[in-house]
Amino acid sequence: MTVRADAGRPPSAQAGRAAAVIRRGAPVVVAAAVILGGWELVVRLFDVPSFILPPPSEIASALSAQFGTILSASRVTVQAVLLGLVLGAVGGVLVALVVSRFHKVSAPILGVAVIVNCAPIVALAPIFNNWFGVTNVLSKAGVAAVMVFFPVLVNTARGLLQVSPLHLEIMESLAANPRQVSLMLRLPGALPFLFNALKLGSTLAVIGVIVTEYFGGPSNALGVYIAYQAALPRFAEAWAGIFIASLLGLAMFGLMTLLERLFMPWHASLHGDEK
Amino acid sequence: MPESGIISVHGVTKEFNSATDRSVTALTDIDLTIAEGEFVSLLGPSGCGKSTLLRILADLTPPTAGTVQVNGKTPAAARRDRDYGMVFQQAGLFEWRSVRRNVELPLQVAGVAKEERRNKASAMLDLVRLEDFASHFPWQLSGGMQQRVAIARALSADPKILFMDEPLGALDEMNREHLQAELLRIWSDTRTTVVFVTHSISEAVFLSSRIVVMSARPGRIAANIDVDLPYPRTAATRTTPEFFEKVTQVRTVLHGMLAAGETS
Repeated sequence: MTVRADAGRPPSAQAGRAAAVIRRGAPVVVAAAVILGGWELVVRLFDVPSFILPPPSEIASALSAQFGTILSASRVTVQAVLLGLVLGAVGGVLVALVVSRFHKVSAPILGVAVIVNCAPIVALAPIFNNWFGVTNVLSKAGVAAVMVFFPVLVNTARGLLQVSPLHLEIMESLAANPRQVSLMLRLPGALPFLFNALKLGSTLAVIGVIVTEYFGGPSNALGVYIAYQAALPRFAEAWAGIFIASLLGLAMFGLMTLLERLFMPWHASLHGDEK
Repeated sequence: MPESGIISVHGVTKEFNSATDRSVTALTDIDLTIAEGEFVSLLGPSGCGKSTLLRILADLTPPTAGTVQVNGKTPAAARRDRDYGMVFQQAGLFEWRSVRRNVELPLQVAGVAKEERRNKASAMLDLVRLEDFASHFPWQLSGGMQQRVAIARALSADPKILFMDEPLGALDEMNREHLQAELLRIWSDTRTTVVFVTHSISEAVFLSSRIVVMSARPGRIAANIDVDLPYPRTAATRTTPEFFEKVTQVRTVLHGMLAAGETS
């Protein structure tokens, strides 16, 4: 599916791939059309008031009218998302590395992390706004970072600790030192775990930033825009913002999947690619 | 058999859980000398401690009593000096490394420079006839090919000794016989001393210059059988009367041993 994998393929295989994409994409397109059409029909037929649900056509026209505003709002939000994602991921990996080195403390620390991970961290949003100030990007990125940190920590630590005994024994027979075992065995072995956490974390980061923006933020942020439009009330515009926020979540997830493939080309096996 | 070989084992005993009342004696009073260049199989029923003995030689588990020398040193020193290479029942390739980089692993751990690593890995892949698969990943290879990569990896740092713990046990019969022949070719190319654990009589006879037959509970050496079939051995060797004779001889020893074990 990646450009890299396609580069060496004969044209016939590429044509086959294009056909496969169409085969897989067609049902999605059809499903989307049915849902949007049904939505439009129901709203018009039963005259649903727009504060409950505006029809897709209205949302679409609001989107096209407000596109410039929403796009610039998205840019502010994306910066906070990316900053939070990087902070949370780096922090999570670093702590996982330390924790996995000390077996005695790793179990209780990870136990606590799992419990904290179950807490609704997004509830911290007003607190972070207080700490850093509503217009500071750190108040948004901070919530996202905390939301990303725990899944990254728990998953990466699990990956670092769950090493095949056979692989460990091979390194032992080679008289490898602990540093080499970490670099050549534990870290690469933990990459699939890390990327699973990042895929989860990337969507969490979008949620964290948007929700924190609901509680106030720079006037040109996506969450602020959605909350403001909903209060006016201009529901079609609010829904247009929500639609873009959803696309943001998808895009972040896609970005992580892309990084996963770049960093782990061997993992093609798990994506069902042929030999 | 010379008195002081490349490997010598004296009075080795191994107990598991020796401090508790559930202690299990895996090996008792093992004496064994292996000369340089030999291909020795440790053959016996499961539970006879043949893998445990190999793991003691490789310093992957300590003996409870007795002395072991590998290449004139303690097993720990031999392991640190990378005097041996080891192949396990499962290939255990690192799935995130290409075939070539898997073969380079021992050299990388030993701090060998990149260029030399590459050259050496290429030579090893030639040796196991996988030069066309250097940039493949392990999941793209069959089980037999993966095990050949594991053999290339074990040999890449030019060890004097090759320890093999049922390396062909997970393969089907066809692949197994093919790899046995390959292994003999590799052995004659490298002149490495091989210690090979197996529970297959025909495999032991086909490969070995000597078979060490072990009995179970507690594990001890029951017989040393020299296999004087001439090398190079080929598929045709398996059909000779001498081969059958040897297989029968080993089988008789094993069965006599098992019968004795049941009556005692």
